[in-house]
Amino acid sequence: MKTGATLALDHGPCRAVGQNLGMDEAALIRAAQAGDQDAFERLVRDYDQSVLRLAMNLLRSPEDAHDVYQEAFLRVYRNLPSFRFDCNFNTWLYRIVTNLCLDHLRKRKVRKTESSVVETEEGSIDRMDSVPEQRASSDPQRALLSSELRTRIQQVLAGMTPRERLVFELRHFQGMRLRAIGETLGTTEEAAKNCLFRATQKMRSALGEFV
Amino acid sequence: MNCETARQQIVLLIYGELSFEEEEILESHLDACVECNQERARLEKLSSFADLAESEVPAGLLARCRRDLTAALEQERRRPSLSSIFRGFWQKWFVNPPMWMRPAGALAMLAVGFFGARLLPDQSSALSQIGVSQGPPPTISKVRLVNPDNSGQVLVHYDEVRPRELRGNINDDRIRRLLLAAAADPADPGLRVDSIDILKSQTSDNEVRHALLNVLRADTNSGVRLKALDALRPYAKDPDTRKTLAQVLLSDDNPAVRTQAIDLLVQSKEPDVAGVLQQLLQNEENGYVRSRSQKALNDMKASVGTF
Ligand SMILES: [Zn+2]
Repeated sequence: MKTGATLALDHGPCRAVGQNLGMDEAALIRAAQAGDQDAFERLVRDYDQSVLRLAMNLLRSPEDAHDVYQEAFLRVYRNLPSFRFDCNFNTWLYRIVTNLCLDHLRKRKVRKTESSVVETEEGSIDRMDSVPEQRASSDPQRALLSSELRTRIQQVLAGMTPRERLVFELRHFQGMRLRAIGETLGTTEEAAKNCLFRATQKMRSALGEFV
Repeated sequence: MNCETARQQIVLLIYGELSFEEEEILESHLDACVECNQERARLEKLSSFADLAESEVPAGLLARCRRDLTAALEQERRRPSLSSIFRGFWQKWFVNPPMWMRPAGALAMLAVGFFGARLLPDQSSALSQIGVSQGPPPTISKVRLVNPDNSGQVLVHYDEVRPRELRGNINDDRIRRLLLAAAADPADPGLRVDSIDILKSQTSDNEVRHALLNVLRADTNSGVRLKALDALRPYAKDPDTRKTLAQVLLSDDNPAVRTQAIDLLVQSKEPDVAGVLQQLLQNEENGYVRSRSQKALNDMKASVGTF
């Protein structure tokens, strides 16, 4: 479980270096703002793995995650000149990414009511199931998890509202603090807390028999 | 504290979102209340279930995203903008001076030259640093920033390009640096392939090898990546090369590149190759690449399933 120990976002080793030299990121941003392409690329590389992981986890579709990645960093590129350091770059970037993910999730909800998107979602689950022996050896825990439980978790996640889903995702998988989540989503820490609580309640009632 | 409040706070406790005082109060309730304590255990278990639902980023997706972003940014930079207007302006005046200027001949051209020199000081390009002789005047390739100030002046950051030529031996440092630049020219894959082909004989040079490793990791064109891979063949035992090969093997979206990477890695006969190949087999979807790595593993007498 990824909890308390992580103080901010887990950005991997690249990011850790950036955090130690807090000034470096500001310098990097200024250079990128002045048109330095290498600086922009370094900025992207500092964050893109966790952005992709977030999009992949939220949208569960490589194609959608790919689209969010492209669109997010293009927006960063276009809007960076107007970035004024009045919030963390981190918060700013995640605001862009989460908005894009929310759009995707909402569109999907609409599609779902219109037709049966369930097929596509099952399709992606099937894809995972089609390589069971690989999964089993890559992570024994996955093998222990009955396919029923896994399907049930997918359903719970899909049954959350986009906001609940996002808060749960950012807190549970990305290790972001609720206060930062509130800031990123343009809401309060209290509202983020409530979303997390509701998300957990949904998990609790859907998976109660397994615990 | 009553049970209802406790239930609401258990989630926050699990996620380390309670203050020291809040945690103390909740913990003392949990010590006293069996039911709430059981609820904590359940929620912790639930939370670990959720971990198992984390989706993996498919192999190659990050590399594909990075490549597509590079291409999209390239296009973004080429969008018609002020820069193209400037380019048109400079080309018109330098390459084809308007007719009314021509009768004045040398004097008019001198004036333009002076105007150009004042406005376009020769300071930026790598070419001038390495002492290539003067050629035609520069053109503006891109305006990067326009920044007006209060006094009515505008600061403009721009790039200029100046067509020039240089002939020399491949051991000449200037030639080598030009080739290295060409090997990374995003606009022309053919030029990159040709440059890498020439640099192939220079791989004993660290800088050349480093550049080729970069190409192998990040070039958007698989043909160019294959060329770089081929050029690195004599360095299959070099630790940096092996690191990049392993990385490429697990992330490149082109099966031919992955296959070549396997061949090269296996050449080195280092034991850690088996681990990389086994990792590859976890996610590899291409049948040929799979069988190739399986065969390599068998040849190494390593067990396919264990690591
Ligand atoms: Zn109680």
